[in-house]
Amino acid sequence: MPEEKKLSGTKQNMTSFSPLADLTPMTKNQVMDLAMDLGKILLKSGAETSRVEDTMMRFCRSYGYYDLNVFCTPTVIILGDESPRGKSRVFRVRWRATDLGLIRDVNQFSYNFRRWKLDYAGAKRWLQSRLARSHPYGNAVICVAAGLGSACFAMLLGSASVYNFIAAFLTGFIAMTLLKMVNNFHPTPFWENFLAGFSIGIVAQTCCLLYPYCTMENITVGALMPFLPGLAFTNGVRDYMAGDLLSGNSRIAEAALFAMSVAIGLVFALKVWTWGGLP
Amino acid sequence: MMHYLQSFVFAFLATVAFGVLFQGPKRILWRSGLIGGLGWVVFIGLKEVFSVHSFSANFLATVTIALASEIFARIWREPTTVFEVPAIIPLVPGLGMYKGMNYILQDYAGYGSEVLLGAALDACAIALGIMMVSGVFRALKTGSDMARQRQQDLLGTAISPDLYVTDPEEEE
Repeated sequence: MPEEKKLSGTKQNMTSFSPLADLTPMTKNQVMDLAMDLGKILLKSGAETSRVEDTMMRFCRSYGYYDLNVFCTPTVIILGDESPRGKSRVFRVRWRATDLGLIRDVNQFSYNFRRWKLDYAGAKRWLQSRLARSHPYGNAVICVAAGLGSACFAMLLGSASVYNFIAAFLTGFIAMTLLKMVNNFHPTPFWENFLAGFSIGIVAQTCCLLYPYCTMENITVGALMPFLPGLAFTNGVRDYMAGDLLSGNSRIAEAALFAMSVAIGLVFALKVWTWGGLP
Repeated sequence: MMHYLQSFVFAFLATVAFGVLFQGPKRILWRSGLIGGLGWVVFIGLKEVFSVHSFSANFLATVTIALASEIFARIWREPTTVFEVPAIIPLVPGLGMYKGMNYILQDYAGYGSEVLLGAALDACAIALGIMMVSGVFRALKTGSDMARQRQQDLLGTAISPDLYVTDPEEEE
């Protein structure tokens, strides 16, 4: 067994700082494989780029492979080998969602794998189980949460009344339900947000028409909140701070595009409403 | 007092709802809700009691949220993002954006762009707050990481080719 020989050779000059002290050894291919999986999960669940790079680098280095380098933007991960005859891997990310639970799980993994002592097969199995797990909240819960968030925002903006609460709940709920219904067709983010803005405009106007006690402003702003790109914006700023200028720029551009598309949808709804001759 | 309690409760609920929207794990939901409520109460308190400009109020509230989530992250060993992302959401200037757009639609472009500029300034204040706090904590963290790495380099264990486990396939 060549692996055992190598290990026993290294054990003599190992200090307490040695990377391999308490880890089961892995080949470079296996480490690259696992690091790539970690990066994929993180980037697909909406982590900031610096966190992806940091986690992957830390994983590679703790196994002693100091010549692996990571470059990551919101749409691609490149894991390259600096040594001659080294191989590199590329992964292209097209669809990104937000899943704080997965980010947290992978974060726990990257801080604890020294203690868990997983070998390649075990780590791979753990990562696959994380990827395959169902989301903790189903579509119905998400829609109700969007409605509740919208309603609470409508109350935060002043002139709190029960009418506003109910109307904002309905508006946010209907917009999110529509989004979930068209989700299977994989529309581009622009059309998704456009649809959300449009439906918010129409439903809010209808509510104000039916109940004159409702405040149009509060309902619309409350219902817009779940669709504003708060996460993209926050991540963009954090990427700037970490020195990833490329991903910071693209995240901020993404946030601006999303906000603009919601606004265009809303404006379109208001215009259609006036063209239709309704008050 | 009643007003602030009511605001806190609604901000708490909104933050929890956003935690659910972002698929946050169940056991951190109420903690991020606490941070969100705290940030919103600081924001309206500064605005209404001390009549601070909305830029400064946003900035200070964001700093409060970021600091609180860094502390919570240290206590419960979670990543900072999990607390910070839902808690920031109540501060996002949605009202200004909507108002400005609406004024522009009704041909009051001058007033509308003024309101939009105010909203953009508020967003900048939030960004500034996050940047300052996360920059300080990042500097502390990378500082300790670098120190450890330098020690490994001095010991000669960091970039030792002996440590590589190679398999014959890879060598080829």
